[in-house]
Amino acid sequence: MQGQPIRATVIYDDVATEVSSITDNGSLWMTTSDLARTTRFELKANGVCRDSLCFPLPGTSSDEFVRTFEDATWFNLIAFAQHLSQPVAFEPLRATWCFGQRSDEREQIASLEAPDFTLPDATGVQRSLSDFRGKKVLLVTWASW
Amino acid sequence: MQDAGIWIQQAEPQPTYAVLIDEQHLVSKLYNMVNVPTGVWIDEQGRIVRPNEAAYVDNRYTHIHRLEAAPYLAALRDWVEKGDRSSYVFSEERTRKTMAMPNPDWALAAAEFGLAEHLHKAGYLAESIAHFKEAQRLNPESWNYKRQAYLLSDAKRDYGTSFGKEVAKLAGKPYYAPRDLPGEAFTGD
Repeated sequence: MQGQPIRATVIYDDVATEVSSITDNGSLWMTTSDLARTTRFELKANGVCRDSLCFPLPGTSSDEFVRTFEDATWFNLIAFAQHLSQPVAFEPLRATWCFGQRSDEREQIASLEAPDFTLPDATGVQRSLSDFRGKKVLLVTWASW
Repeated sequence: MQDAGIWIQQAEPQPTYAVLIDEQHLVSKLYNMVNVPTGVWIDEQGRIVRPNEAAYVDNRYTHIHRLEAAPYLAALRDWVEKGDRSSYVFSEERTRKTMAMPNPDWALAAAEFGLAEHLHKAGYLAESIAHFKEAQRLNPESWNYKRQAYLLSDAKRDYGTSFGKEVAKLAGKPYYAPRDLPGEAFTGD
């Protein structure tokens, strides 16, 4: 497989992970084990899956997504993002990629179901919006600037 | 937590509600929010029944933005009492029409902003500024992007502006999108 081996920083779901990658012509290849570590997505027979979520890959261009190199299976995360209309921001000087919301995530709010989230309170206890199901919730954001 | 914690710990009376720390602006991203304070009403089934709007609960900044807290608080109390029968609850159609909907530019802006925040935290100030600027370019409506970037930098040196100058550029246009409350102008419906 052609390309430049690099140590990349990949920000996925707001979590930054260092990963050994190969990049070339706008691609970002990582082993499938690093794919799972970075995104929690796994390559399966029916597509690229996480929990009950599965995205089939187009069969005609599978080489664009998956390749075998040095006894490992490699996955192109940029091609996958393009396939899912997922925006990607890139900083070449720091070899850092930030993956945004996929189209299926962006469109969730149109269902009017309030997007769930989990964040810490001031004592570090994690709280989720869904913890308040059964009660009315006034969700207010503020900042200290 | 370092910046926001003091506001929570020293609040009198102490909050009886959950106050959460959102370092990465996750809620703004999920709900397409562009300013603070922004409020959303969510019913017992987890459905949005009144989307993003300015949510001031006192009048300490009314002299600047001209929004009185009383109409918002009255609407809120009405909803708490009457639930879905409250006239302040939006229909699904009206909610969809009013709320900020997905937009590819805004989604890329959020990714640029996330990258900028990461780079800044990692100590790469110069690289972060380019991505903060790109986020602002892609989503010029977001005051959150402007204000966060200005705070993490020298706004005049790195962005050639300041929060005050950006507000002045509005030249009389409202700083917040008008609320849909009795007696207030509303242009979104």
